[in-house]
Parts: sequence; structure tokens; C-alpha cells
Amino acid sequence: MTPRRKITKYTGKPAKVLQSEPALVIEWPRSLAHRHTYGKLSPFFKGLTEGKLLATRCINPECSEHRLWLPPRADCPDCNQPMIWEELPQPVIGTVHTYARVEYAGAGIELTTPYFQIDVELPGVCTIFKGYLQYGTPEIGMKVQACFRTEDPTNTILDIYWIPAAG
Amino acid sequence: MITLKEGNWRVPKWNRKVFAVAGGLTNYKKFCPEMKLEEQVMVSFRQMLENNDLKLSPVEIKGLVNFLACGNFSDHFQDQLLCEAKVTDYLGLDPIYDIGIKTGGATGGSTVLTAAMAVASGYADVALAVGWERMSEVDTRAGNFYIANAACKDFETRLSRIYAAYYAPMAVRFAWAYNLSEQTRAKVAVKNHLYAYYSPYSQQPGKYTIQDVLDSPMSTYPLRFLECCAMTDGAACMLLCDEKTAYKLTDKPCELFIAGGSHTLRVADRRDMEIPLLPHETPEMYHGLRKKEVQRWPGFESFAAARFAAYFAYRMAGITNPLEELDLVELHDAFTISDIQTYGDIGLRPYGQEPDYIESGDAYFGGKCPANLSGGLIGTMHAVGATGIFQGIECLWQIQGKYDKFHGDPRIWKSFGKKKPEDWRSLQLPDARQALWVSHAGVGSHVTVGILRKAF
Repeated sequence: MTPRRKITKYTGKPAKVLQSEPALVIEWPRSLAHRHTYGKLSPFFKGLTEGKLLATRCINPECSEHRLWLPPRADCPDCNQPMIWEELPQPVIGTVHTYARVEYAGAGIELTTPYFQIDVELPGVCTIFKGYLQYGTPEIGMKVQACFRTEDPTNTILDIYWIPAAG
Repeated sequence: MITLKEGNWRVPKWNRKVFAVAGGLTNYKKFCPEMKLEEQVMVSFRQMLENNDLKLSPVEIKGLVNFLACGNFSDHFQDQLLCEAKVTDYLGLDPIYDIGIKTGGATGGSTVLTAAMAVASGYADVALAVGWERMSEVDTRAGNFYIANAACKDFETRLSRIYAAYYAPMAVRFAWAYNLSEQTRAKVAVKNHLYAYYSPYSQQPGKYTIQDVLDSPMSTYPLRFLECCAMTDGAACMLLCDEKTAYKLTDKPCELFIAGGSHTLRVADRRDMEIPLLPHETPEMYHGLRKKEVQRWPGFESFAAARFAAYFAYRMAGITNPLEELDLVELHDAFTISDIQTYGDIGLRPYGQEPDYIESGDAYFGGKCPANLSGGLIGTMHAVGATGIFQGIECLWQIQGKYDKFHGDPRIWKSFGKKKPEDWRSLQLPDARQALWVSHAGVGSHVTVGILRKAF
């Protein structure tokens, strides 16, 4: 006796119709989570949650770039050799290189608008470091101090932010 | 400091000449529910085959195609992997090989570059460069977030989730370093919205004043909405051939040269470099450019990728003085500031004097080397994968003397559900022989510079 074949049932949720004229337009939901690794940069992101700003430095004597990299990179782009970690001395004081006031942000923004995004020059660092100013109004050349979100960290780059430096 | 060695400076060389013969566009709009993406591509493909005065029938031309380069920027937007296969099938070109090309906003330029390499190498006699984008698949804020995935996801994306916020710091810095006023930036917007007014393809035509631009809502300070390109649904097709086939297909072929450059995605990581000099430049021109403390080149002010691409493209084409030898340019005005920054990169003005290209009148119709007569990205479209192809086609039609045919025909306006304006005017240049277009991505991560030269 052959087993009775089960009926294949529809178990989905009917697509919502957004418009039906002149063409049929339906909603197509997408919701999923990626697994994203910080890889060899994990010390940097862990460091933020501990109130530390970690940069990398190439120690290859034959390499021409010996300044710090921030954002850090695990490997030197000039000589392709692994770099070492180095913590910036506290307080971390930088200079505003440029800035922007974000008024209209994209979906999922985690900061209240408007806010100032700033690019910060740091002594001894060959790159410039992007962040946001928690309060105050930036201008080019202004001194700013790094702060860290050590309580309730976001585990993202938003765990570092800047405030106007005293004096 | 990035230092390049001799081998890095080798000028690209085609093994044989490459020609552009025809192009096709679509009606560019924010939301195009009446057509799917491959159906939109078909619209541009038909225009390319049927309306470019080609000497063979569309079916005969399809019978010559050997290769497709297919540009689309974002799998997020299309929400369909391997769109290329769907498009090649839909155009009836199976099983000819297609390669998908993705270099952000420069996707269109990279697509033309890839098709040109196929012809130049001998892989193909006839190659199709085709590009598209369907940005209406999500709402505008979600679209902004998708595009912001083209910033560094670990260090930048969460800091704004909108691309204007990655150009805005460049606008602030450029204004500080090179004395750029908001009025000059606004003039670029006024010009390009106006030129879009004469184009049936355009998404954001408008007759605005400088004050209108300055009064428009702020996206990210200092960039206002009227200074920003929109999100677009649309497609574009360009047909490239070897020399023999080009003259078999058209009496008006244009020779093509195109090269590219890349640079780190994070603007803030752009260390100081020596400026690669264009043929008409001397090192003395840039003594004192870095007069201000901690200024670096390209820094936030300029695009090394654009300079690198121009360095090669001018040498490939034998151009020794761009402003004198180019009759028009189409630049990547995704934002007013990126347009202005590029004037220095491609040598329309020396670095530090970019605003003068607008202020002098050179950039206008009737000026020495008009820019973005198509309406550009601000006025006409930025269906990302199609953009760099659209720009090249507008250059091609100018040289072929077909601006009016493709912009002034009331039937084209009508087919898009639009009415040709009573005060429409022709932007056809009287004797355009050589044109350049810049296709640009990711705050300058990828740039191609293409040059079309009259060959009839």
C-alpha cells in the first residue's frame, strides 16, 4: 500500500500589495542579521569599551611609514608586514581637521540629529580619525578630547566620541 | 606617503583602436513601477539600436555582439544576484558572455572601460556596455543607508548612514583651504538643474536661483538638497566596436580612450602624496599649495583617483592641454562639491583655483569648455550603474551633432509622459570634436576618465 502523499501547504505570509495600478507592486520584507567579525582589529574595539584608544605601528625598519595608524590596520599597507599595538596617552587630545553637521541621516541612525561629525588630527598619527562631537560647535583647528562609552558600550565605533577640550 | 614606482606609471595602451558608435537612455525617475529593471534596460537597448542612424538592422547588430559588460552598483538595491544573466537573456543575447561590474558610483565608467578592454584586446569586435540601477526598491532613508554601506562599515557607516555626510566634510575643508563660497557651489546646482530642464530624460529639472539653492533644506551641512543628486530608476547602453566594424555601423564613430584610478575608501586615511602632474602642469605651479598647516594632497580637498585616471587618459589620447583641447566635459556632480573638486583633478584649473572654472563662465554653454550640458547627476539622473554610461552617451551625441535629435524631439518627451517646454533651447555645441567624462565612486575610491574624439 503506497503511503498517502501529504498536501503541500502554503505557510508564508501573503505579500502586502502597495499599489495595483498601473503595475502590481508588493512589499518584499528583508530582515536578517549578519555575523560580522572585527578580526585582528578586535583589540581596538575592546579597548574602546575599556576607555583606551589603541593604534597600530609598523616596526619594520625597512618601511618608510613609522607613524601610528588610526583607524588601526593589522598589517602595514606600505610593506605588508604585521604591525604592533600601541595605546595613545591619556587624555587623548586632537585637532578638528574638518566637520559636517548631519541633519538628515539614513535609516537606522543611532545618534540624535542634528549632530556634528568631526575628523580629528592626532599627534604622531599618519591618518585622520572620524568621530562625532557630543556637544559644542566645531571649527577647523579646534582642540577636542576623546571620551569613551565604557558603561553600556555599543561594541561599535560609537564607543568613542569627542568633547571640546578644556582651556 | 604613497610612493609609486616606474612600473605603476605605465600608460595604458590599447592593442587596437576602440570606437563608440551608439547609445541609449531611459526616462530617469525616482520610482518606476511600470517596468522591471530588465524591461527598463530594453528601453535603452532599443533606443541604442533603433535611433542612432546605424547602417545595419537591430537584429543584424545583435548578430555582431561578442561581449557584454554589465554595470550595477548594489545587490542591496536590485535584491537580485546575477542580474546580468537576467538582462543578457532579456535582451536576447544568450549565451554571449557577460561580466558584472561593480565600482560604486564609478560603475558605469568601469563598465565602459571593461567593454573597451574587450575590444582593444581582440576578445570582442563588438561589445555592449550596459548599466542599470533600481533604487526605488527601498524608501529613501533605507536607500541612504544602503549607499552608506559604501563607507567603511567598521569606522564610518554608523557615523551618519547617508553619503552626503561623507562629502560634507570635504566641502567644509575645501572652502577653508581654497576659498570656495556657498554661492559658487550653488551656481553649479543652478546650472545643472537648468540644463536638465532641456532634457526629456531628466529627473530633477528646474529653473532655480542661487537663493533657491541656499534656501533649500539642509541634507548634511553645508550641502543642501538642491546640491545633491537624487536616487533614480533607470538604465543606459553604449555600443563599442573595433575600427572596421565602427565604420560599417555608422558614419559618425568616435574614438574612445578611458583609464581609471582608485584610492582608499576612507578619506581620512589619504596620506600626503606628491601631485602627479598633467601634461600642461609644472611642479612650480604647486609650490605653496600646502601653505596652510597640516594640509595634505589629496587630503579632503581633492581626489587622487581622479588625478591618476586623468594622468593616464590624457596621455593615452595625446591631450596636452585639457582646457584648450576639450570641447565639453561631463563630470560626476553627485554633490556640488565633488563637481568642483574634480576641476582641479582633471586640470580644468590648477589645484587651489577650482572655483574660477565656474566664476569665469568657462563651465557654461557658450563658455570655453561647458560642463554637464546633460543636466548631470544633480539635474538628470544617478541610476548608479547606468550613470557613467549615460555621461559618455551625452558626450557621444554632442560630438555626433545629435543633441537636438535626442533631446528636442517632442515624441521622446511624449513617450515619457512629459511635455517639451515651450521655452526649450538647444544645447548642441557648434563643433564639438573632443569630450571628456568622469565617472566617480565612494568619495573618490574609484574614478574613470573617458575621452571621446570625433573620428569622422
